[in-house]
Amino acid sequence: MKHDDRFSVLGANRRNFLTMGLGGFATLSLPGLLRLQSAIASDPTGKPRERKSIIMVWKPGGCSHIDTYDPKPDATTEYRGPFSTIATKVPGLQFTELLPRQAAIADKFTVLRSMRQTAPGHPAGSMQMLSGDPETRDKPKPKYPDWMTVTNYLRSRDEPQRENPLPRYVGINPPLEYNGPAYLGDMYSPFTVSGDPSNPNFSVPNIGLSDTNEVQRLGRRSDLRQKLDTLTRAFDRAGELGALDQFESQAISLLTSPKTKEAFDLTKEDDRTRDRYGRNAWGQQLLMARRLVEAGVEILTTSLSGPLCGRVGNWDDHAVNHHVFDALRFRSEIYDQAVTALIEDIYERGLDQRVLVVVTGEFGRTPKIEYSPSTGAGNASAAAGTIQPGRDHWPRAFSNIWAGGGIRTGQVIGATDKRGEDPIERTCSAGDFLATIYHHLGIEAHTTFIKDFNGRPTPIVDQGRPIKELIS
Amino acid sequence: MRSIRLLILSRTHFFLDASLLLASFLCASLACSLGDAFASEPDAAARPVSMVNEVLPILTKAGCNAGTCHAKASNGQNGFQLSLLGFEPFEDYQHLVLEGRGRRLSNTAPEQSLLLLKATGQVPHGGGVRLDPNSEQYRVIIEWIRQGAQYDGQSATKLRSIEIQPFEAILAPSAQQRLKAIAVYDDGSQKDVTKLALFESNESSMATVDEAGTVSVQDIPGSVSIMVRYQGMVGVFRASIPQAFVVERFPEAKNFVDELVFSNLKKLGIPTSELTDDATFLRRVSLDVAGRLPTEQELASFLANTSAGKRDDAIEQLLASGEYADFFANKWTAMLKNRRDDASDITSNFAFYSWVRDSLLANKPYDQMVRELLAATGTVLSNPPVAWYKRVKDPKNQLEDVAQLFLGVRMQCAQCHHHPFERWSQDDYYSLAAFFSQVGRKPTSTRGEDMIFHKRGLAGVANAKTGQMRRPAALGDTVQEIPPDQDPRLKLADWMADSKNPFFAKAVVNRYWKHFFRRGLIEPEDDIRDSNPASNPELLAALEARFIASGFDLKDLVRTLVRSTTYQLSSVPNPQNITDLQNFSRYYPRRLSAEVLLDAVDDFAMTRTDFPNLPPGTRAIALPDNSYNNASPFLKVFGRPENESVCECERIQTSSLAQSLHLMNANDVKSKLASGTGRAESLAKSDKTPEQRVEEIYASAFSRKPTPEELATAVGYLAEVRVDASGNPIDPGKSMRENLQDLLWAIINSKEFLFNH
Repeated sequence: MKHDDRFSVLGANRRNFLTMGLGGFATLSLPGLLRLQSAIASDPTGKPRERKSIIMVWKPGGCSHIDTYDPKPDATTEYRGPFSTIATKVPGLQFTELLPRQAAIADKFTVLRSMRQTAPGHPAGSMQMLSGDPETRDKPKPKYPDWMTVTNYLRSRDEPQRENPLPRYVGINPPLEYNGPAYLGDMYSPFTVSGDPSNPNFSVPNIGLSDTNEVQRLGRRSDLRQKLDTLTRAFDRAGELGALDQFESQAISLLTSPKTKEAFDLTKEDDRTRDRYGRNAWGQQLLMARRLVEAGVEILTTSLSGPLCGRVGNWDDHAVNHHVFDALRFRSEIYDQAVTALIEDIYERGLDQRVLVVVTGEFGRTPKIEYSPSTGAGNASAAAGTIQPGRDHWPRAFSNIWAGGGIRTGQVIGATDKRGEDPIERTCSAGDFLATIYHHLGIEAHTTFIKDFNGRPTPIVDQGRPIKELIS
Repeated sequence: MRSIRLLILSRTHFFLDASLLLASFLCASLACSLGDAFASEPDAAARPVSMVNEVLPILTKAGCNAGTCHAKASNGQNGFQLSLLGFEPFEDYQHLVLEGRGRRLSNTAPEQSLLLLKATGQVPHGGGVRLDPNSEQYRVIIEWIRQGAQYDGQSATKLRSIEIQPFEAILAPSAQQRLKAIAVYDDGSQKDVTKLALFESNESSMATVDEAGTVSVQDIPGSVSIMVRYQGMVGVFRASIPQAFVVERFPEAKNFVDELVFSNLKKLGIPTSELTDDATFLRRVSLDVAGRLPTEQELASFLANTSAGKRDDAIEQLLASGEYADFFANKWTAMLKNRRDDASDITSNFAFYSWVRDSLLANKPYDQMVRELLAATGTVLSNPPVAWYKRVKDPKNQLEDVAQLFLGVRMQCAQCHHHPFERWSQDDYYSLAAFFSQVGRKPTSTRGEDMIFHKRGLAGVANAKTGQMRRPAALGDTVQEIPPDQDPRLKLADWMADSKNPFFAKAVVNRYWKHFFRRGLIEPEDDIRDSNPASNPELLAALEARFIASGFDLKDLVRTLVRSTTYQLSSVPNPQNITDLQNFSRYYPRRLSAEVLLDAVDDFAMTRTDFPNLPPGTRAIALPDNSYNNASPFLKVFGRPENESVCECERIQTSSLAQSLHLMNANDVKSKLASGTGRAESLAKSDKTPEQRVEEIYASAFSRKPTPEELATAVGYLAEVRVDASGNPIDPGKSMRENLQDLLWAIINSKEFLFNH
């Protein structure tokens, strides 16, 4: 029982953990603490434990599976859509014409076509996919923490003294609209980078102050603080002040260290690489994701949203929002290029064992095309009142893709029926999706429990098993 | 009151020690080969094996029916479901014998039963090896299967209680104590079930316990308890661990709090720290009672005051202030979920907040306040406590919140299964829900708001498992029949406010104790149960009695706590009390909460944070709901709750990288320090000497004078000359301003500022 070991080793439940200071070490004597630290720094063979990492690329709103990874060329026109199918590097595997670059490297990732969850709304759908909440109705706030904060929490607990000055969990325009830490608390939320990294004026606040005067001044202030910060440490049995000291030096390092600044600095990449990802927000977001993970960030999420999606800024291609086919055409080239570059780069730089890349959204879109009047003109949407085609929410079947992480690539997992409405083989649930991610991160999903606000041990995944084709 | 199903043996400590000796002697002479409850019994083969009294306890001890394994909700691990800790024997019988196409047990070849093949690891088992095929336990299960795997839920002798021997002890640091668990049955028979009982320490830094019930004490003095569970019965062993130190002298006791704290410390050999100085006291009590730093004027006049009662006077002034009401309204409205989900909630949230604040300001008796809330009817605007029913709609959530918040009892578990550490069953849960079964709702013209009324009819809720209708009953107490035309919630409020109620006063005094002393006498503060005893039960009982006798007077409760010498002890430890974290031998420092810290930064920097829709100058501790967290990254990053949970643990009091970054470099903080009307600017313009400037800064931030070294360091820094980009000295006035800002920065980033100590 991994869970029990974990809790008995730490001698603290989550409430102690929160109330008694970082790591819950109030309840641990110093020798116990040191033992714990040495126990977790290495595995039984004495080898330092490798920290697996993940990049999740999120398509908020839900991407049409039929028009991308799961084409249905033989379906009738009410379903099929206008895009032709193309062959890929993997014999027998076809995509639509929107993804020529990914088709050319289809041997470097695996397509899962039989993803299925049960919530038809964006909030509940996102909660199912990211926090494993089985609820099908929408609610304003998540009940369970998402896998990102769970991972951050578990790893922070296992390794309270992180040597790498970079935050463990970074979100670049992250998908946080419907998810979050729930009962784990905001301290496990991501370090968030927002904005368009392809913008020449782009900068990350709180990272590597660029003004040398400012850096010097911070140094002076920090020295002065050190001299004046005389509150007796003797009372600090709970280790809170120690934890605070550590966060303070980490903060100073983030603010002033050239190394952390560099990790976020895309100008350090050569022009060819930057061009390869695409000189646009999505391309540069994915490049930054790769760069940060390479520098030691362990959990990285990024949403492909905003103006590059079209008028409403996401993939929610109802006819009222977008002309679904115009919208997919509008964004596909940039999407295809960025994702292809990321996957190729992961392999070329030897990150393919350590880093898992997964590209998904909360659901697919209705196989049957619907027509409604547009509610406004803009990119990928005709003038208000113009009848245009759209597709609605479809959690019953959709696709996502997986690369790196040491998995076998060039596979297709599962299949949907002839209209793309339901999986006909190897149906995978949101729980399976999460268990697969946790497996890669070294977390046993079905035996790990975290106490909620009421102290009730809550499984991090209620139902679900790692998808065996996707684990190394 | 229903009596607690726990028999307690009274024995002398002498006897305990003797029995320990005897036990170890016996164990040694038998080479510990048995030590075994089963050894003394007739061979299992000779008599019928009881599923209820023999087989299920084995599965429980082996961990099979833990919540994380086969008792996991929704089907159990890998589709094999057992009831949690064997609470539902008949369901277990069905799962074991009838389900799985009968393949889990094999009568003809018991050894080939999947249950045993899995449990012994002979076929792959996700849960690992749980049972040794050479063990007596294994043989018991085999025999039960061989006898036809009979269900004996009706006929089995009923377990009445478990006794823990010894049930308490005084143990020296590093000592060990073997516990025995004795099951007592309805027919008077007894059985040693030590091998099958579950043991759990409530504080593993102080004592650990192994599977066989041997307690190993560590080297921290204090009290620790071991919870012992066997088949739905819970027993507790309590150990006092004194240190070998005789305390000669305790400070003067000011009231019964001190008497009871000091007598406990005396027993444990823990001396207190010194009484704290006046300046630290004023800062501490202002932060804890009114959620703010003392002003420089308050500090100066307090220090200059020579009257003996000046600390008590200061407490009275704080209790009479509006800030007291602000601060505690902030605390209560968070737990009462005054939450803005929609912009239209603003009116009802403001009304509810005002009702709470006004009640606290007027010092409305606590029982009356709770009654007004519980039994609220009408609309929010006519009767603001109705807003609670807007936030908490489901009767199940209503009972859960009421139980946790006002009774300190967590009933959530009992919705779906018997509470794993408590006597609460599902019947208890639904009987409590029944008080809320007649809450009527009618939509009003305001979106999202219902009118709340009493719906005539006989109150009752069906137990979701048995389908049986449960009539209102409060945690084991039956209340008189409630006629259809009477609102059952009033009956619940009567029951709570009864002076003999064992939960209501205890829960709030413990909650307030924690507010002022950082750790509850029972911890967590809202998890009161027999198996989680108070660190100082006499003190808790005395506080309860005082609170009830005062007429549920909250200000009197605060006064009692903060007037005590115990509250006024220094946080600086001595060698004998440094390890003490639960007996209150010194003040335990605590980081300022988000709202208090933001106000403190503003007061110190002489700036203001503006919040939408509120008058300029509204302080962060006076914010009516959670919506302001969105506008203020400061509040969010320092953990102001979103008013989602009835548990105060939703508020985050720990530190984080984001907090450090925020205080060091966030725009809102930077602009406060550099404000053109702020402290740095006003000091730069003033005709004060550098020494006076530093003294003002220390008084307003730390409520004290700087030490000579601090003064020298700070004055030296202020005198440093700054240079521009080309290395030339800048204007001295500008230089001073920059240096002052740097000093303010260093102060707000220091631990002394961040902590109440």
